[in-house]
Amino acid sequence: MVPVDVSTPDPPRLDVLDVLRPFDVVLLGYFPVPDQAEPAMLKHEYEDEVAARLDEIAAGRGEVSEILVFTHDRDATVDRIAEEYECDAVLTAGDIEQLDRILVALRGDVNVSRIVSVVANLLLGSDASVTVLHAADESAEPSQGESLLQSTVERVIDHGIEDDRIDRQLVTEGDPRETILELETDYDLIVLGETEPTLRERIIGGFLSSLIDELDRPALIVRDVE
Amino acid sequence: MSVEDGELERTLGFLEAMTLGGGTMIGAGIFILPGIAARNAGPASSVSYAIAGLVALLAALTLSELATGMPIAGGSYHYVNRALGGLFGAVVGWGMWTGLMFASAFYMVGFGQYIVEPIPGLDGRAVVIALGLAGLGLLIGVNYYGTDESSALQNVMIGTETAIVVVFVAISAFFIDAANLEPFAPTGAPGIIATTGIVFVSFLGFEIIATVAGEIKNPSRIIPLSMLLSVVLVTLLYIAVMLVSTGVVPVDRLGDSPIPVSDVAEVSMGTLGVAGIAFAAIVAAISSSNSSILAASRVIYAMGRDGLMTNWVNVSHPRFYTPHRAILATGGVTAVLILVGLRVETIIALLAEAASFSFLVSYSLVHVAVIVFRRADPDEYDPSFRIPAAGYPAVPILGILLSVVVISQMAPVIILIGSGIIGLGVVWYVAYARARVVDEGLLREAIRPAPAEPYRVVVPIANPETQHGLLRLAAATAHANVDRGTPELIAVNVIEGRRDAPLQNLESERADHQRALLDNAHDIAEAMDVRLRTRAIIAPDIGDAILDVVDEEAADQLLIGWDGSVGEADHVFGPTLDSVVERARCDISLVDLDRETIGPCVGLVAPGSNAAVVARRTAEFAAIDSTRPTLLYVQPDTGDAETDRRSGQAVVREIAEAAGLDPDDYESEIIIAQDIGSAIEPAIEPFETVCVGLSHRTDGSRILYGTVTERVAESAAGNVALIRGG
Repeated sequence: MVPVDVSTPDPPRLDVLDVLRPFDVVLLGYFPVPDQAEPAMLKHEYEDEVAARLDEIAAGRGEVSEILVFTHDRDATVDRIAEEYECDAVLTAGDIEQLDRILVALRGDVNVSRIVSVVANLLLGSDASVTVLHAADESAEPSQGESLLQSTVERVIDHGIEDDRIDRQLVTEGDPRETILELETDYDLIVLGETEPTLRERIIGGFLSSLIDELDRPALIVRDVE
Repeated sequence: MSVEDGELERTLGFLEAMTLGGGTMIGAGIFILPGIAARNAGPASSVSYAIAGLVALLAALTLSELATGMPIAGGSYHYVNRALGGLFGAVVGWGMWTGLMFASAFYMVGFGQYIVEPIPGLDGRAVVIALGLAGLGLLIGVNYYGTDESSALQNVMIGTETAIVVVFVAISAFFIDAANLEPFAPTGAPGIIATTGIVFVSFLGFEIIATVAGEIKNPSRIIPLSMLLSVVLVTLLYIAVMLVSTGVVPVDRLGDSPIPVSDVAEVSMGTLGVAGIAFAAIVAAISSSNSSILAASRVIYAMGRDGLMTNWVNVSHPRFYTPHRAILATGGVTAVLILVGLRVETIIALLAEAASFSFLVSYSLVHVAVIVFRRADPDEYDPSFRIPAAGYPAVPILGILLSVVVISQMAPVIILIGSGIIGLGVVWYVAYARARVVDEGLLREAIRPAPAEPYRVVVPIANPETQHGLLRLAAATAHANVDRGTPELIAVNVIEGRRDAPLQNLESERADHQRALLDNAHDIAEAMDVRLRTRAIIAPDIGDAILDVVDEEAADQLLIGWDGSVGEADHVFGPTLDSVVERARCDISLVDLDRETIGPCVGLVAPGSNAAVVARRTAEFAAIDSTRPTLLYVQPDTGDAETDRRSGQAVVREIAEAAGLDPDDYESEIIIAQDIGSAIEPAIEPFETVCVGLSHRTDGSRILYGTVTERVAESAAGNVALIRGG
């Protein structure tokens, strides 16, 4: 899912939609409504204008489902729409011009198969290369990290990706957050798995989503749906 | 895929609703009014609070039912408008807005007072007023600029102030001197009731939950729960505060103090108590005033939506997206009300009572509204919370009675001001709104008995603006059947979705569609003297919903719009249409309106069960543009032209008779041909509208329509109607 704020007169062109062609994209146009206004009131005033903007963004980008929501609470809306449309991943803010290098940050073996499938689709639809990173806890066994990386890489290859496009990196020192922040500048897109039970915490604005706040690059959060 | 209707998210949960309702109630009322209340009724003023709480509870019960039936912005105003029509709607709308402004002014003067009194250096009414204005200015500014997700802050503020008050009550209870509570009721019953009118303003707030009903999550559950709980809990708190206050501090001293609760805290908790109460009072005044401003703009928006208010005031700020004009208007009048305090000594009591008056009138009308709704019982009124059977009609009737009693005991000047406000609403309606409002309210429905023998045409309308022609056609066919019953047109619009979607405000969309239907159908129905009902429904499946309506209304005819396509990939007429055509148990007319006018009509008849209905419909449609209908029959060619012609005419005559048509009412055309299909095409060209029969038989799940129907549908350049008798 790609959320976009449609209340701004010049919404981003979202070239990322071209990059995401292998996927079914749900383009969520949200209109942030201040507490003072009733969402219905702003809907009456701006619906046509904003729907046209959304159409413009989606034009010529393939099969894109467009959804328009007027909401006080963007996070709640992202959650609800992601549930309703069974989205595998949600894109955070930011645009990608071209997709050359992807960083996949694995925390553990939670949700790996879904992450792998998302990454594989990204690779199949582009010429990008991917680095699978595992920033292990200092107390953890290094061999655990190694085997996690190994199995993940193998699974990506199983999807039909040439193994020279896949790189791996195991970092055993330092704070995992810091590591990711240091490395991100070399990449175009970061793929993260959701570990919190709700997506809300991860999407921009939550108190605890400090990592995402500090990321420069766009991130694709893969939902953990059980 | 292009976007459909924009969705409206519901974001307020139980906690937010409680702080909105309960938090607004705990405003300046409980901090300032105990002094005045004690002076007017002694320790029995706690009984006044109890009575006021009862009036509020009755109103909360009624509002809970109405709000779960219609969870949409506007609260009390909306329900009264729908039940009693525009006049009362305008009265309640203006009453609520002015009531909220009086209340806001009251809170801000209280705010000023609680800053001035405890601080030694400040003195004088002018300072109080100035501070009140300053606070108001700040609030208006913040609301003009707009806030996002301020509920966390709101929850904290309300929680703190409530905690302080609870602690105050708990500790001060130990300082009660029973002697202070004697005599308990020095002014007797009249005094108690008069005081109820003054303190009622302290109970304003729970109805705000209904005013923002469009934004509350899971409204069926949360609205009744939060409204009733907030009233009950706050009432208990007030009674406790009042008893404690009159118990700790003698009534005379209490009555003279502009910050009575603070004085009580001084006795029981010393300077710390004073500071705590002052802090709580200031926070309470700000938060309650803020909520009132937010509620006021919702009411103004709701009035604008129904055509009772100019749209100029509902424009949103191009950058901040706040209803800045409504906010400024509200702030402006509130400021004037505060300024009046410079001239008027008893400004606090005045503002409080005036606000109480406005809201008591509104609540009375809300009670009337629920009675009207129950009696008229419109199909879409299905509240998840109903006043329990034991309570109806006791609750609304008692509510009205009590409100009238309390109002009657108010000071004459207040009754004068209050009546002035009501007068303002009436004048506004007559001068501005009456011409623009179409919805007449349910009052007539509630009183008017159902017609004895109606002839009902149900017409599903997806887009009222573009399907004007369809509405006209439906009205015409209803009217033409006046000999079979009082013509009645039921225009239906179905929105696909879950009826009680907990996280989306579909109710607003439904109300919009209903209004659009009414706007577009009203004139047509009036011109043709046909009784009109509109139904906007939210249902998961459109086809099922239409069939339900047909069954519920015992419809005589169903007239549906159709795009003219026959036999596409996986359906015959359309995915929704197929199931409806298959299962509807009445006459059906499937109409493809390509042209603006109906014009000359031809009905293709052939011996069979449908023929009479086809002939009748043709005649009805022809009547719209006052042309004579033509009945066309293709007689198989046996070689003998003369016999063929005569047989053909006999067939047509028979069919026309069965349809109840006189020979003068129609033209007949007989075509003699071998190939019916190819003979028909050129024959129907000169006509603008073609009616052809649809077979009864179905082949499993497919509707059989025959080659003739298909050819007609494909080749006809004008309007096509497929007719089937039910």
